[in-house]
Amino acid sequence: MGPSIEISRLPKTTTQPYDLEGNPDDIIPEEKLPFDRFKLPPEEETAEEIRTVIAWAIDIPDARHTSIMLRWLKQHKLDEELGHLKRVRRKDGVTSLLLHPVSLTPSLPEFPQEVSMQSPYQVSVPASAALTPLSHELKNKLWPTIFAPPRKDQVDPWTRGKLRWACSAIEKLQAESSKAVAHGEFPIVAFVPPPHEISGVDFSESFTGFDTRQSTNHPLRHAVIDVIRQIAEFRANEGSSSTSLNAVEADSDDSDPIPDTSRSQNGSRYLLTGLTLFTTHEPCIMCSMALLHSRVKEVVYLRPMPSTGGCGGVACLPALKGVNHRFGILHWKNVTDQGLFSLSEDVDA
Amino acid sequence: MDSDQDKSEIHLKWMREAMNMVIGVFNFPIKNSSITQAEEAMQAGEVPVGCVFVRNAQIIARARNRTNQLRNATRHAELEAIDSILADPSLNPVVTEHPLSTTTLYVTVEPCIMCASALRQMGIQEVFYGCGNERFGGCGSVLGVNAHLDHPRHPAYKATGGYLREDAIMILRRFYITENTNAPIPKSKANRVLKTDILPSKLPQ
Repeated sequence: MGPSIEISRLPKTTTQPYDLEGNPDDIIPEEKLPFDRFKLPPEEETAEEIRTVIAWAIDIPDARHTSIMLRWLKQHKLDEELGHLKRVRRKDGVTSLLLHPVSLTPSLPEFPQEVSMQSPYQVSVPASAALTPLSHELKNKLWPTIFAPPRKDQVDPWTRGKLRWACSAIEKLQAESSKAVAHGEFPIVAFVPPPHEISGVDFSESFTGFDTRQSTNHPLRHAVIDVIRQIAEFRANEGSSSTSLNAVEADSDDSDPIPDTSRSQNGSRYLLTGLTLFTTHEPCIMCSMALLHSRVKEVVYLRPMPSTGGCGGVACLPALKGVNHRFGILHWKNVTDQGLFSLSEDVDA
Repeated sequence: MDSDQDKSEIHLKWMREAMNMVIGVFNFPIKNSSITQAEEAMQAGEVPVGCVFVRNAQIIARARNRTNQLRNATRHAELEAIDSILADPSLNPVVTEHPLSTTTLYVTVEPCIMCASALRQMGIQEVFYGCGNERFGGCGSVLGVNAHLDHPRHPAYKATGGYLREDAIMILRRFYITENTNAPIPKSKANRVLKTDILPSKLPQ
């Protein structure tokens, strides 16, 4: 982009009813947060929707050996995963023990000698705890699963530190949007900072995507597509040879098979996994689906696009039945300057 | 005027071209395939979806899915082809809001929601596809981005499935039954049997 403009000349666009000064670990009360969260309908409530992982399991012919096997499990630190599932299953007189995800332990250590065992086998088990009774019932059919309904008052609490992180991203959007307009482009900007929480996502860069439809005469050069491409190139250059974008199963028996381009098993290096995308305008349907394909964690936007948007405008893609990933949607409210980000309602942002 | 049967023959001809973009990967004998061995090697491990864009009875672009190669989950065949069309000035003599208004797409699998929206923004004339896409389909299977949704600027377009549908399904099944060596956790598929029975389409035709 061209010469930087003076930030101080920008109109004051955010009013902050909350105090950004203070302990960064304080939880900000939900009603004081400057955004609305979109509520998605409950998920994993049909057998097809249940997300699964492949894990080792073994049948224990003599139930008295269960405690020996549990000690063995602990000794080899194989009990540190799959905490959302019951470790032992008793079904039809057979006692079975859940061991470890196959992805993390391709070959198992030797079993204790005093125990006579069948061969371990692979079993498809739920990837997370059950959030609703219906989901619990379905998941229990795969493997006994913990029931953990979300507490209504504790949906993803925001700390003051996280709010500061988000406010700084919003300021970045405002500054870059003004620059884009000065260059004759649409005021649409997408920004992906390093995540606020360190959650195993190895990501220290930030990326800014621009809309270049006007200068390139290419109707699909949207800001979200631009930032996804930048992150893809960055990660490809990191040499992540193990990253695959189509480790896919199409197990549906009687339907047309589907080109699923993604699967959470691929871990944290999967494109936008664990990342929050901030954008000036609600992404269009193309961009919203591109974000779903890329496994973004959440999308924060300033301006709703009721006629073209795919995050609650004309459609809400992560709420569709059947899609294999969901992301959070936050509408940032208190951007008071109406002139900034001005965009015709019929544009796909 | 062409009869309906003649038209159907024409659509099948173009759909075979779309199919040829991915079929060589599986060592099917193909006549007149444009795929080189190098391309096949790169293509290995990609979900096999191919497409051609046709204008004035000529193919102006052909492409296939490259999400693995580019490590970018959005690089579907349709978007690859659109970029190549817009990069060629001879195919875009005048700047227009809807550069594909006289262009038809033939693609082996129903465009996903992302591509269906991209095609509408490009003003595509019409779309023909092989099999439906129950998880991501944007031309009616999951969401009707092509026509059902209103858009203030971009006209709706007609999307018709079922052309070489069984071939399209079998190509995908062959892909899914093969070890995906690009996956970090290759799953043993040794016990899998390639199913050859194909149930009737549930899609509105």
